[in-house]
Amino acid sequence: MARGEIELTKLTKEFAEVRAVDAIDLHVPGGEFFSLLGPSGCGKTTTLRMIAGFERPTSGQILLDGSDVAYTPPHQRNVNTVFQNYALFPHLNVYDNIAFGLKRAKRPKAEIRERVGKALELVQLTGYERRKSSQLSGGQQQRVALARALVLNPAVLLLDEPLGALDAKLRKALQIELKSLQQEVGITFLYVTHDQEEALTMSDRLAVMNGGRVEQVGAPQDVYEDPETLFVADFLGVSNLMEARIVSTGTAACRVAVDGYELETRGTELDVSGEAKIVIRPERIELEPHGSPSGANRVPGMVERVVYVGSAIQVIVRAATGEALQALIQNTGAGNPYEQGTPVQLHLPADALRVLPSGIGDVPSLKGDEQVEESAAAS
Amino acid sequence: MYKRWLWPSLALPGTVWLILLFVVPFYAVLGVALGTVDPILFQPVPIWNPLEWNVGWIQEALTRLAPGGIWFDVGIRTIVYVALSLALSLLIGYPVAYYTARHAGRWKGLILVLIILPLWISYMMRMLAWVNLLQSDGYVNRFLMFTHVLSQPRDWLGGSSSTVIFALVYGYIPYLILPLFASLDRIERSHVEAARDLGASPWAAFRTVTLPLSKTGILGGAVLITLPMFGDYYTPNIVSMSPKTSMIGNQIDLYFHGGPQPTLGAALTIILAVFLTFLMAYYMWSIHRAQRDVGAVGAL
Amino acid sequence: MTAVAERRPGGFSTAARVRGWLRNPWGKPRFLVVITWAYIIWSIVPVLIAVQFSFNATRSRTVWDAFSTRWYWGDPVDSVWHDPTLRHALVQTFKLAGADVLIAVPLGVLLALGLARWRGRGSGASNFIMLFPLVTPEIVMGVSLLLIFTQLFTFIHTGTVAQILGHITFSISFVVVIVRGRLFSIGRQYEEAAADLGATPFVALTRVLLPLLTPAIVAAAAVVFAISADDFVISQWLSSGGETDTVPIRIYSATRAAPLPSVNAIATIMMVCTLIIVTLGFLAWRLFTSGEKKTGTAAEDFGTAFRL
Repeated sequence: MARGEIELTKLTKEFAEVRAVDAIDLHVPGGEFFSLLGPSGCGKTTTLRMIAGFERPTSGQILLDGSDVAYTPPHQRNVNTVFQNYALFPHLNVYDNIAFGLKRAKRPKAEIRERVGKALELVQLTGYERRKSSQLSGGQQQRVALARALVLNPAVLLLDEPLGALDAKLRKALQIELKSLQQEVGITFLYVTHDQEEALTMSDRLAVMNGGRVEQVGAPQDVYEDPETLFVADFLGVSNLMEARIVSTGTAACRVAVDGYELETRGTELDVSGEAKIVIRPERIELEPHGSPSGANRVPGMVERVVYVGSAIQVIVRAATGEALQALIQNTGAGNPYEQGTPVQLHLPADALRVLPSGIGDVPSLKGDEQVEESAAAS
Repeated sequence: MYKRWLWPSLALPGTVWLILLFVVPFYAVLGVALGTVDPILFQPVPIWNPLEWNVGWIQEALTRLAPGGIWFDVGIRTIVYVALSLALSLLIGYPVAYYTARHAGRWKGLILVLIILPLWISYMMRMLAWVNLLQSDGYVNRFLMFTHVLSQPRDWLGGSSSTVIFALVYGYIPYLILPLFASLDRIERSHVEAARDLGASPWAAFRTVTLPLSKTGILGGAVLITLPMFGDYYTPNIVSMSPKTSMIGNQIDLYFHGGPQPTLGAALTIILAVFLTFLMAYYMWSIHRAQRDVGAVGAL
Repeated sequence: MTAVAERRPGGFSTAARVRGWLRNPWGKPRFLVVITWAYIIWSIVPVLIAVQFSFNATRSRTVWDAFSTRWYWGDPVDSVWHDPTLRHALVQTFKLAGADVLIAVPLGVLLALGLARWRGRGSGASNFIMLFPLVTPEIVMGVSLLLIFTQLFTFIHTGTVAQILGHITFSISFVVVIVRGRLFSIGRQYEEAAADLGATPFVALTRVLLPLLTPAIVAAAAVVFAISADDFVISQWLSSGGETDTVPIRIYSATRAAPLPSVNAIATIMMVCTLIIVTLGFLAWRLFTSGEKKTGTAAEDFGTAFRL
């Protein structure tokens, strides 16, 4: 197995009264691109800082390739960090920044020169050796920070929202670059971000964190399609949530009642009964013209608002059950078929509906408004 | 939106004031130092026309300051006192500023207030406090005899160089700590963390990151206390009152207050001012370099 | 780097705990704590002892006898209240500081406004001249002011008027630095908003800019009072003796002669007055800026404002 296996066992960090990280268990095999995703204050950065060695855990273990490094000081750990603001040393030029760690390790001069050269090549900054960090653009600073960390051949590279300070376009380009860089060097990347789209596009697997706990771990697809808690459903993209009463449950399918309409949903292994919630992604809601044959999982509604978001059209429909549901339809260029006030029929496919017990991870208010817009624009 | 003459006219009164009472007086010192002395009354006769200036008194003062001259010892002593006081102040002040900026946590505000507090206590009051303590039957001697460090009271106030240096440090160190604190406080924690992350031990991280990044604070604080120390005369007077510890400032004081030759005093003042201007220029140059190094100026 | 020798599931070996504690990278180095508090004690306790002896019942400033207010007003000859030289010194100090605040603060505020917004010919030179008093050693300023009043402006004699002129000269720059810092931090947006809403330049200046500058003006007044009351060199060089001697001059000459605890008493009075005024300045600063976005604690902000 590749180097850089991380295993966290009951890792806990308390600041004064607050439990920033609450007994989390996590296993990241070597060579994986793993993201910690969550809103600010969810404990993701604290977790990363404990792995880097900047914070001392209150309790728990940090196994790095099998040995516990929880109490090893940062300079003796085989992990390196790319900081949120890059933390390039302002008094050193690009060359000396990258050579910093090699000099601390007392490598011979010739070796330092060679390795710094290779690192610069890796991030395509050859020729920038004599520049000061203040003379570099944001993207270039980001690459220097990467080179500075990677030149030491760490087993794990920790990245703390490394693209946060860049503009949207550059961020997209660097996401792809970072991913291919990770595949090239083959070490573990532990990536901390609050941007769900970033986590979904780059990660092999990701963990969604909330309130110091891990809500769900899995591949991007699993976590997005199959959220296990309301929080995950809500944090990753836009979700339509509806109150429902369980009629019957099963691993193959469940039946729920929503204000008189009985709907079939996907099966669940969770133990739900009585009041529950059902979720559906906007892009999975199908709109049918009024008067289409009614059938299973179909609810009438009225178009309340239509928002043009570029690649798609967002249609807010007031369903007969009382909820306002958001549906996304592809912008095909044919104009908007649904005017405000038009009656429509909503089709909520059974395989897109998921039952979640009320109350678990039920903090949708944590989600900021900008995330709604971002994800709406991105979908 | 404002009339163009508004801002210069607001600045006018203050500027005129400073020209009349700061720039012109400096010219008066030049006039006296480069003037002559009435041969009978020994009164200075200033020369206001630069074309008629007489450099004789400046030459005289320089001769006295040169090796073998009667002020040579005073000049050397001044430089040694200031250098030692500066070194001691840095040695004490840096750890204090460092701790306050980096580790004080919730005590930071309180410590900062306590560090600033001496700045609002009169310098003379603080010197008086030590003169009280250093009397032959003062607390210092009594403590040292009680702990058997001394067998009999020591005369701290009778012309001891160490007392003068100690008093200079005590008097000026708060002015050093504040700029040091400000520059250390500005260093981002992530820079130090980055150094640790890249394999630097705590000491190596301090040496390679914190220290270079606090250079402007060190230089700023140093110049802030060095300039007034070079012109100090009251501190040695209060804690020693002996010619054995007299500094350049004492020499100037002597020539104006009691001495017969203000002209020579003015000449010495000019020499001191020129020396300090060079010091200041050196400081400006190195601060410019330090800021260029950290990319604070002209990011292209 | 070797792994922890002994590992129990869900727990830690004591060795790992101790080693971790010692190596805690963000722990507070113990010796720094000691140095810092030792420094603070060293810098403040001697002054407190001097204050203590101002209340001594005997003539000694080194041997404590009993508490008494003798040196403040009790002693019919040597107390601050009854000794005319001490009383005059106190009056003179307040006279100089008061006049200094009244004249230097307005001059400095106007100069700061002018220098902050004036971008024409002469602004550079004016700015340059303004900075010099901050770095000129007092003795150089003392000599030059003495010579100007004895050689050129001979219509002003040394004494109170000359002292006030001297104090204002070194105070103006402090006011400028404090007020300009505040001007810089509030930016131009409020004035522009005022103009946008139809305010004339005069109204924008008096109704918008000046109120926003109030905390800085109050702070500057407190600072000017403090540095004027603390000043020794300029007061001494421009003193004509007798009633024009200030408290610092009294302390200086008394310390060198045979001093009584009354010197400690007058020094204590002066210290308490200065600290009260600076504290009031600080509280006013906090009051005026309380609604604003804070970059640090109030104490830190205040410290920044007063960093000269």
